[in-house]
Amino acid sequence: MSTNVVTRPQRWWDSDFVYDFRHSPVAIVATIVTVVLIAVALGADFVVPFNVNDPASANVVDARLPPGSSGMFGSNYLLGTDPQGRDMLSAVIFGLRTSLMVGGASVVLAAFVGILLGLVSGYIGGWLDALIMRIADVQLTFPAILIALLIDGISRTAMDRATHEALAIPVLVVAIAATYWVQYARTIRALVLVERDKDYVLAARVIGVSPLRILLSHICPNVLGPIVVIATINLALAILTEATLSFLGIGVPPTTPSLGSLVRIGNEFLFSGDWWISAVPGAMLVALSLAVNLLGDWLRDALNPRLSGR
Amino acid sequence: MGSFFVQRLAQTIVVVLAAALVSFALFRYVGDPVNNMVGQAASMADREAMRRALGLDDPVILQFLRFLRGALSGDLGVSYRFGVPVGGLLMERFPATLELSVCAMLVATVLGIPLGVWTALHRRSVSSHVLMILSLIGVALPTFLIGIVLILVFSVWLGWLPSFGRGTVVSFGSWTTGLLTAGGLKALVLPSLTLGLFQMTLILRLVRAEMLEVLRADYVKFARARGLTNRAVNYRHALKNTLVPVVTIIGLQFGNVFAFSIVVETVFQWPGLGLLVIQSIQFADVPLLAAYLVMISLGFAALNLGVDLLYAAIDPRVRAGMMSKARV
Repeated sequence: MSTNVVTRPQRWWDSDFVYDFRHSPVAIVATIVTVVLIAVALGADFVVPFNVNDPASANVVDARLPPGSSGMFGSNYLLGTDPQGRDMLSAVIFGLRTSLMVGGASVVLAAFVGILLGLVSGYIGGWLDALIMRIADVQLTFPAILIALLIDGISRTAMDRATHEALAIPVLVVAIAATYWVQYARTIRALVLVERDKDYVLAARVIGVSPLRILLSHICPNVLGPIVVIATINLALAILTEATLSFLGIGVPPTTPSLGSLVRIGNEFLFSGDWWISAVPGAMLVALSLAVNLLGDWLRDALNPRLSGR
Repeated sequence: MGSFFVQRLAQTIVVVLAAALVSFALFRYVGDPVNNMVGQAASMADREAMRRALGLDDPVILQFLRFLRGALSGDLGVSYRFGVPVGGLLMERFPATLELSVCAMLVATVLGIPLGVWTALHRRSVSSHVLMILSLIGVALPTFLIGIVLILVFSVWLGWLPSFGRGTVVSFGSWTTGLLTAGGLKALVLPSLTLGLFQMTLILRLVRAEMLEVLRADYVKFARARGLTNRAVNYRHALKNTLVPVVTIIGLQFGNVFAFSIVVETVFQWPGLGLLVIQSIQFADVPLLAAYLVMISLGFAALNLGVDLLYAAIDPRVRAGMMSKARV
């Protein structure tokens, strides 16, 4: 019964990473906000006070009520109502779900494509590598928002209205993902170039493991670390891109509430003094993007060995 | 240097050709060009004649070459929505966007550099901490929200500044400017502030980081040892060396400012290229979108080529690096 035995949870608790986290109020708050927002978005159907997707819940007599007011039939609207008399709080929670869903899906897609191309580019090399990296170079000379806007805009013009209505969200996800794959590809490629000539890869090759197997089960696990950081920072950017495109009216279809499209609706009522219709989704968007951004910044610093022991 | 230039030029040409190809495909295959031109009453024979007259039954490669020739001579088709040549439309809108972008960059520089210097020199003061936190929030704030908040405060609540349009503009031939009238200047304030704010936070943080670095350098210590005043050390020695990367960033960020002007123009209904392209997407105005695509790719390719060459011309180290990279 020695008291010096360090249990596994104890070791985890004392690790640099967790120690850093426990001593960074910013990281703790950012994590809590992010987790709460994701939980609320996932459980949207259970937490919203009003089901705004149901037309019956809209009460035109209660339209554009300021925050904290009660409606004609005694409903309490904590954050006010929109032009159709729907509860803002509920609309914003559904909007949050759309924004997180589109943002998350585009990050996953961008990471998947980027990692795949990075692995191929770094391990196989040759003209394929040259081609992929030239495309990446060229893409980096254009601003991300412009690329997303043009991909989204062109596919919107190229499809007829009904097809586009049905495909709007997948198109949006692809457009956003297409702007962010480069970072993953470049990072992975650089790491693969280092790993490729290490002894364990050589050993695997000598005993006749297939190149695909070497890539996926030997090299891949060793190069995925930095992806977490890139993905977190990208999530904040992807959410902002989705919000911007939806605000411009070329993102999610008008029938789907997202944080950006809600701000767009509110924008039309700004001059009647109904500030909350755009302010509520706007504030939610800022909270979400700020929390994810700060979390990403902290992760980058915490996982960067060069910065440890500051 | 020569091989680097040739490689960059080739890359630029490929990019522009790819954009032209997408643009041509849009033009040719989205909707039927003949249907868009003739009335409902046109007979099949008329349509066929028109198709032949337009050269739509030629081989595709020939049509693409004709499209390129047209694009090079400024003929990019007629807008579905406005019924006038798109080249003229784009040119008409260009001054508004350029004016907005330049003013935004000016706002960002004029505010960003002094604030950056301040936060570097007074690193531990409360004001610096507040500024750094604000600049962090600035990164997370989407541009359109900044615009909406500014409109709400300065147009709706205070009523000081206009919230849409360019105000009164003066025209010189085909060029229009709002810089010469009071109304035009007032209309420019909120949009350029909105567009410039993000760039300002970027410049602020860059200047701060560079300045802190430079202040640790030996020549600054020596300048202090020589008994120069703080003012001379900070501004004549330190600041001057901080500004080189700042100038570079301003050049590189111009493309970004141009892209985000699309958002700002929509918020403020600013009659520039960005508002035009958003409307052309919403109205499926294919010729206009196609022409914009060609124009923007040409513009960006030229901008990047220019920045690269300028860079290589200024800094011999970059030149050496680029040459070794070009050989790989």
